[in-house]
Amino acid sequence: MRMAAIVFILLWLVTFVAGQLLFKRAMDVSSAMGFRSRRTLSILGAGIAVMTISFCLNLGLLQRFDLSYLYPFQGSSIIVITLLAALILKERLTPRLIIGTLLITAGVVLVSMS
Amino acid sequence: MMNHRPSGFANPWFQFVLNIIGVVVYELLLKAGAAATADPTKAWSWIGVNALASPLTWLAIVVIIVDLVIWLYILKYIPLSIAFPLSRIVDVLVPISCWLVLRETISPLRWGGIALVIIGLVIVARPAAELEERL
Repeated sequence: MRMAAIVFILLWLVTFVAGQLLFKRAMDVSSAMGFRSRRTLSILGAGIAVMTISFCLNLGLLQRFDLSYLYPFQGSSIIVITLLAALILKERLTPRLIIGTLLITAGVVLVSMS
Repeated sequence: MMNHRPSGFANPWFQFVLNIIGVVVYELLLKAGAAATADPTKAWSWIGVNALASPLTWLAIVVIIVDLVIWLYILKYIPLSIAFPLSRIVDVLVPISCWLVLRETISPLRWGGIALVIIGLVIVARPAAELEERL
């Protein structure tokens, strides 16, 4: 049961992060090539597919655990998304942005723990 | 790639506020829908499909779809590394509204967490403001 919980929480995290990155990429491509371009729509479609899986996993998790138990994991997605946006989407990361994001992540975890 | 920032209703920061309100609403609807139909003994319940039996879950899905369109619009103008951390203001709004509306108590440790999130948001908001100046 514990093992299944960890696997499903990780699956949720991976799909959620991937979905956000695909959404942003789709909108960047739409700025360059237009919203109706095949490339924009295929990346957006992939994002929506991955987010739908993530959404179902989230429902399954919510039925088993309190939101307060799941929140630290949701919190960890913040720093993961910010770092991957810099790595994959080449967004500019400043030390200020990293510190702010770390504080938000730590705060979210603390709120859910107490 | 940055676009020229539209004003008024189309302003991405105004849409950002709408998006946040949507998130708070659908989080509460989802929890209510999932709790009303919870049956962990069912084999397929890990993927949450039985929550679809609740109309609250479907209402949540409608809000989520509207919110997704708003979110995509925001991402057209704001980098993900700024928009996403800022969107976590909901993690402060939910406990504070529980405290204000439902008279729930908040422990000192939780207030500490809320303070950390607010400080983090202010720090992240600065790059966002600089982004505005460049537009």
